[in-house]
Amino acid sequence: MKAILYIMERDLRYFFRYKWWLAGMVSMNLADLFIMAVVYTRMVDPKIGNYFLFFSPGITITALFAAAFMIGREINREIRREISHYMLSLPIKRWELAFGRVLAGAVRGIIYMIPLLLTTLAVTALLAGNVPSALEILTIILALFLISIGTSGLSITIAVSTTSFEKYVTTRGVVYYVLFFCSTVFYPLKFIESVMPQAFALIAKYNPLSCGADLARSFLLRNQSIELFMPLDLMVFALIFASAALFAYMKIIQK
Amino acid sequence: MISLRNVWVVAERDLRTFLNYKHVLIMRALWFLAQIALFGLVVNKMLRPDVQEAVGGSYFSFYAAGIIISLLYSTSVFIGYDIYEEADHGVIEYLLSLPVSRKELVLGRSIGGGLRSFLYVSPMLMVVLYLIWSSNPQSFVSPLQLFIAFLALFLFTFGVSGFSITLAVSIKSSDKFDIFLGMINALIVRLSTTLYPLVYMPSYYASVAQFNPLTFAADLFRWGAGLESAVLTAPAIAIFGIISFFSIFTFLGIFLHERVLEGGSWQ
Repeated sequence: MKAILYIMERDLRYFFRYKWWLAGMVSMNLADLFIMAVVYTRMVDPKIGNYFLFFSPGITITALFAAAFMIGREINREIRREISHYMLSLPIKRWELAFGRVLAGAVRGIIYMIPLLLTTLAVTALLAGNVPSALEILTIILALFLISIGTSGLSITIAVSTTSFEKYVTTRGVVYYVLFFCSTVFYPLKFIESVMPQAFALIAKYNPLSCGADLARSFLLRNQSIELFMPLDLMVFALIFASAALFAYMKIIQK
Repeated sequence: MISLRNVWVVAERDLRTFLNYKHVLIMRALWFLAQIALFGLVVNKMLRPDVQEAVGGSYFSFYAAGIIISLLYSTSVFIGYDIYEEADHGVIEYLLSLPVSRKELVLGRSIGGGLRSFLYVSPMLMVVLYLIWSSNPQSFVSPLQLFIAFLALFLFTFGVSGFSITLAVSIKSSDKFDIFLGMINALIVRLSTTLYPLVYMPSYYASVAQFNPLTFAADLFRWGAGLESAVLTAPAIAIFGIISFFSIFTFLGIFLHERVLEGGSWQ
């Protein structure tokens, strides 16, 4: 356990070295919420409800995803520059190393997301008058942590499966567009179903980002009920991609 | 005396260099497709009927025309990254050793930076025009209007390249440049009419957005494509805005780049 904590501490220290990068990301996330969502709220059909309120839980997902995905970029660079050889020389078991990296990616996502979750809590409390209980907030954080683990695992899996940085960036882009635009982060599912072919609507429904966003909305906005498949979906996503990342990372660093 | 041939040789080199970014180009094209085919279509369904009327009948067409301007902007700023890449690999010294004057070199870079993004975006621009015209075949399009709009977009790409070069040579650190550009991108696209018309923005955003070069470019392109409606910036104002943006940043970029090029003082 101590070894895993050392690895996580190292990755967290690296994360806070990117102060300016974090500032850039925060500004992008806040611009999405306080500019884009504000203007769309004035244009969206009021029958749908307040778009600003609908979108605000989504911002936590976009933030979480971007921050948790960053670990893949670093691992891809380490492999290209053979820093992984140094990592292998450490008195740490390989599975501990791999597990530490996946967990560190997830924790980074959660740390980055917390201020945005607080913003969302403030927005929903002020505009909708909903203040979730401590248990509900913990449930939201737990759900988001599962997304963060899955995202961290997904990014590490992509990072170790692509040999060049360009390929990594391209694959990351494709994954990002499919996961975000085929999800309920930006719009309700019924509109996706009305416009997209059924396959896209299915992806959107079972997309872990949709499940995370809808789960958060159900507590923050109380506009929908939680369905059983949502937490299950998040657990399966976290388990599959954490396992894939562990396996792929251990394989690649031994090459 | 500036030799146009030398300027073209430099610009041609930048055009060829652009092809090295295959993956980035593919990613941008995918981004464009996702924005149009997923986000644009779904959001189009969510808007009020009076909004659809105000944007000329279809928000989807309005949005598609705006997204292409975002793409034009994001590919034009690439020249700044090239400058850092060249500084890192010592290519700048090689460029300085060529029988090309400093003025020709920086002018060629600015032209090449704009031209290559215009060429890259052109097929997608055609797709957008097809989508706009096929959704509303009755809309009258004057070839002169379209020509003026294209010419303005051409100047816009040069202006954005100049803007990127100005930032690149002023900031002096590739990391800071990358972050600063990311922050500017976040604001410049959202505080413009690429995604939504000015009339639906709160006044504090609209007062900034109305002077944004992306607003001028997006509204002018919509006007050229026949998406005329009450919510667009007047074409004369948009043309004036783009010419001003082009003049300021193209010449500022050239001036600063030329000044700091020798001796690697900006590295």
